[in-house]
Amino acid sequence: MSDTVLVVGGGPAGLSAAAGISAAGFKAVLVEKEDRLGGAPILSGYAKLVPSGEWAKDAIGRMVEQVEGDANIQVHKSTKVTKLDGDAGNFTATLSNGDTVQVGSVVLATGFTHFDSINKPEWGFGTFPDVLTTTQMEQMVGSGKITCPSDGRVPERVAILLCVGSRDRQIGREWCSKICCTVSANLAMEIKELSPETEVFIYYMDIRTFGLYEDKFYWKSQEEFKVKYVKARIAEVTASDDGRLLVKGEDTLVKRPIVIPFDIVVHAIGMDPNEDNPEIAETFGVGLEKHGYIDKAETYTNTCGTTRKGIYSCGAAYGPETIDDSIAQGKAAGLRAVADLSRA
Amino acid sequence: MAIHEKSLIEAERLKTADHLVIDGVDVSGHWNTMITPRTLCDYDEHFEKTIQKYGGGENVHRCWQCGSCTNSCTMYAQNVNFNPRYWIYLTRLGLKDELLKDKDIIWQCVSCNRCTHICPRDVRPEGVMKALAHWMEEEGITEKSPATVFDEEFWDQIAERGRIEDSEVLKNFFQKTGQELTQDWLVEMIKRMLKHLPFKHLFRSGKNAVMHPRTQSWGRTGEVLKQYVQEQKEAIHG
Repeated sequence: MSDTVLVVGGGPAGLSAAAGISAAGFKAVLVEKEDRLGGAPILSGYAKLVPSGEWAKDAIGRMVEQVEGDANIQVHKSTKVTKLDGDAGNFTATLSNGDTVQVGSVVLATGFTHFDSINKPEWGFGTFPDVLTTTQMEQMVGSGKITCPSDGRVPERVAILLCVGSRDRQIGREWCSKICCTVSANLAMEIKELSPETEVFIYYMDIRTFGLYEDKFYWKSQEEFKVKYVKARIAEVTASDDGRLLVKGEDTLVKRPIVIPFDIVVHAIGMDPNEDNPEIAETFGVGLEKHGYIDKAETYTNTCGTTRKGIYSCGAAYGPETIDDSIAQGKAAGLRAVADLSRA
Repeated sequence: MAIHEKSLIEAERLKTADHLVIDGVDVSGHWNTMITPRTLCDYDEHFEKTIQKYGGGENVHRCWQCGSCTNSCTMYAQNVNFNPRYWIYLTRLGLKDELLKDKDIIWQCVSCNRCTHICPRDVRPEGVMKALAHWMEEEGITEKSPATVFDEEFWDQIAERGRIEDSEVLKNFFQKTGQELTQDWLVEMIKRMLKHLPFKHLFRSGKNAVMHPRTQSWGRTGEVLKQYVQEQKEAIHG
């Protein structure tokens, strides 16, 4: 009988799962393909997290410290799982560093991949230096100064375009990425805090700041920071002769075409399935749902399950998810995996 | 070839020239009509702040365009072009040209305040309608309302003399608003006064109407009041 759970992925969900397994008195082997733990918030340099408002490096940093300081958690960085043999209760995992580990169950906390804005070339990313993604803008917020990458001037106007890589059949993304509306409202407030003279406009189809994010982010951004929300799906981002960007579209509510000058355009990029999911599905023998995320087992009595017995999942591996919910699901998946060990 | 379906295009967007040369080519004649584009090319983000300085407009930035104001609106039921939600949106983005297309109906708000009580974000749309109407009046976009003309006449006399002369307020108000001086109800009232009121009172009224006396010890009160009002206006509107 193994007393160990294999946790794949060292982001918020995986860190939470590993810490939970250890707290329950069992051992975890945490495998992370990058050379650092922390997942997207750390690797992509997020600024302040939604909804806590704490800097990612502090909040997620604490999770990393907790796991790295735990003798019951063995961490393998820059490592992948290349092979999984055996069955529920008695798996043997082969790692890319040559190690093999005996585990009773597996938690896939393999997360997501940020949408690559290159796939929407009409919105100017990769063509114009002042077109950025939300992650790049968060990095700029982290640096403490809001300026145009092209020439360093302070932007008079910033446009945030929602649903970039989400809700778009043209590029096969038929899901809502769930958190970009809230992240964008939060980002707009961070921009206004650092650069009060900059006007921030958010171009939206719908605003989906669900639950308690409604007043804390959407309303607050309007009422306290005077962020302007414009109902328009942008058709194209081009440049004008004076070097500013031109945002073209139809203002849905005015029923008129618009061509408005901006200094920075931010893509609120969505969450794609992890680009390694086909490989993960093959290695672990789990199914993917139709969009390419890890497929869920029947959820009511087999919480955190996948299509294979003994293998569990959580967080953004299942589909677009918030950091807080990923952490909660990671904890649930870790303990669900531990329950298998107890029975074995 | 001329443009056949001109009726489908707003008149102000059709530009016709007797002689027209484009890129060195003379296109006078059949090709002389051009249509200006419908594209909106900029926002005026300061306009929202302007409207917020007028009483009632303070909360306009809260609007999220749910349309509760318009669908509860008394005037919208009469005229589908009366759309507070839309004007609030135009105010927020500073699309003044669009807004001014409706300058002749915005003032029609009857202040029933159904919008005020239904608005989920406490925008107070009725206040915004009032603020817009006042802004248009001050900018000379719309004519002063009769109520404003009356108020001004009333206030001018108070500031000057510390009192009003009823007959003069009425006379000037009628003149400024282009109304007949000999209104039926007025003629009837004077007739009855002549019939029933004591001669002494009539004499004093008549004398005041001609002499315009000041209230006793009015002194510089009017000047001080005027200065105060001016300061308040400047403090609000900058």
